[in-house]
Amino acid sequence: MVSPAIPAAARRDRLLVAAVAVFVGAMALFGGGYFVYLLNLIGIFSLVAIGLNILTGFSGQTSLGHAGFFAVGAYASGVLAQRFGLPFWLAIPVAGALATLIGAAIALPALRLKNLYLAIATLGFGIVTQKLIFEWRGVTGGGAGLQVPTPQLFGVPLAEGSRMTWIIWATLLAGTWAASQLASGRTGRALIMLRESEAAAGCIGIHVARYKVVAFALSAFYTAVAGGLYANLVRYINPESFSVNMSIMFLAMIVIGGLGSVRGALLGAAFYVAVPEAVRGFKEAPGLIFGISLMLVMILLPGGLISVFRRRKPARAAAAA
Amino acid sequence: MSTPDARASLAVQALGVSFGGVRALQDVTLAVDAGEIVGLIGPNGAGKSTLLNCVSGITRPTTGTVRLGDVELAGLRPDQIAAMGLGRVFQHPQVIAELSVLDNLLVASHRRLRFSVLAELVGLPGVRRAEDAARTEALEVARRIGLAGSLDVLTGSVPYGHRKLLELGRVILMGARLLLLDEPIAGLNEGEIEHLADLVLDLRSASGLSILLVEHNMGLVRRLCDRAVVLDAGQVIASGTPDAVLNDPRVLLAYLGEVPADA
Repeated sequence: MVSPAIPAAARRDRLLVAAVAVFVGAMALFGGGYFVYLLNLIGIFSLVAIGLNILTGFSGQTSLGHAGFFAVGAYASGVLAQRFGLPFWLAIPVAGALATLIGAAIALPALRLKNLYLAIATLGFGIVTQKLIFEWRGVTGGGAGLQVPTPQLFGVPLAEGSRMTWIIWATLLAGTWAASQLASGRTGRALIMLRESEAAAGCIGIHVARYKVVAFALSAFYTAVAGGLYANLVRYINPESFSVNMSIMFLAMIVIGGLGSVRGALLGAAFYVAVPEAVRGFKEAPGLIFGISLMLVMILLPGGLISVFRRRKPARAAAAA
Repeated sequence: MSTPDARASLAVQALGVSFGGVRALQDVTLAVDAGEIVGLIGPNGAGKSTLLNCVSGITRPTTGTVRLGDVELAGLRPDQIAAMGLGRVFQHPQVIAELSVLDNLLVASHRRLRFSVLAELVGLPGVRRAEDAARTEALEVARRIGLAGSLDVLTGSVPYGHRKLLELGRVILMGARLLLLDEPIAGLNEGEIEHLADLVLDLRSASGLSILLVEHNMGLVRRLCDRAVVLDAGQVIASGTPDAVLNDPRVLLAYLGEVPADA
């Protein structure tokens, strides 16, 4: 009962990863500029969605300020590259580490807050971050934006064609793998338990405050790494982009994909990038169609897109038992 | 029967809790000696849950002390108290519906699995080994409590009685020495009640656990408990053997609102 189920699921996962890798590889090689652009965005937003899902889907803490972490990642890696000449593969992890510290620092006062109150506090963080970038002109370039040097790997510039796609999707692969480890293990169980009941989690032996901080820090790291990749991809960033609107979009991605699921996060990001593009032909209507599609997904699949794949699971498990 | 562990004793001394102007508990003193099963009874609102919350570190008492073994619990967090051997079974099972029964059990292996979040993120080999060991342990516990057949089932779809057993399985996995059982048989059918009562007695005799049992079912209190303590309006109004306590006119008054003529 227990033992055979695990290898089967692992085999299915490996097949899935292989299929996605082949598809992404083929698109990157032969798909042309437009598909490469979509793939890049999907990869970057998938990382954000995984990160936000650790915080919101697993530990149950809603953030309306993740554009702030995304901006920290974008600006820190951009500034490090532009002013200090750090290569992108060093600047992005450093930016991620900085965001991790900020995430942990935000989590401490946030420990006392829940639900909407926490959401509003994080909303404040996002707004403050955007304002700081605007005002701190000497470093960030303020409203004029920041030019990020072309990222290079072993002297090869990555600006052309689909080169960044490989970097982004390799990062996503590593990020997905690490998050899956976490999700199915001790940390994932602890985070879900504290989401269900902090009192019960404590009585089971889980240090609730520490795991809330861990969730914030990890979530900030993923989001900032995505922000760093974004800055190196577009090579010109402007504080306007990192708005509350972006934070809400991040939240929408994980709800659409399915809260508390790593794969759901990927689906949500893909949906969010691909659907508006797919309906672009309808003149004034893309916004309308996309809005309606959001409503439809939530009404038909309240558990998110991932629930399409999950639906039969309980019945099958019950039959096996 | 294994020797009772001195660390498994509970001593509540002159405990008082006030919420604003409301005195939820007043000068409550009670003890659970090592290896003992003590019933805690009283009408709704008597302060039983508040008392359990004080012992598990969720509520800070206004006055008085709680000791587990010879450690004073004042100021400790729930997870620190759990680490010292306290296991709590909630009245309403605190299970995660979307995870399997096995994963729900494994939540309680949290403290046994000593690797860091970072080690887990990068997938160090030790992590896999520790998880496998925890899985084996959970499997044994599941056999012991009779849940081995539903380990793979999502917890949201198992019967209520199974979920209550699952919580009991968790405190066994935690290696708890003192259990707080909050109405463990509420909502169970007769067969399930028998099963659970046997399990509790077996746990005591096999592992030398001490148990504080909150229960409204007097038959179960008589059957399981060495002693009983009655709480009413935040105060202890009687304590002694279950029979003596359950025939005490003050207890009958608290429960029924009047003393039957033949009492």
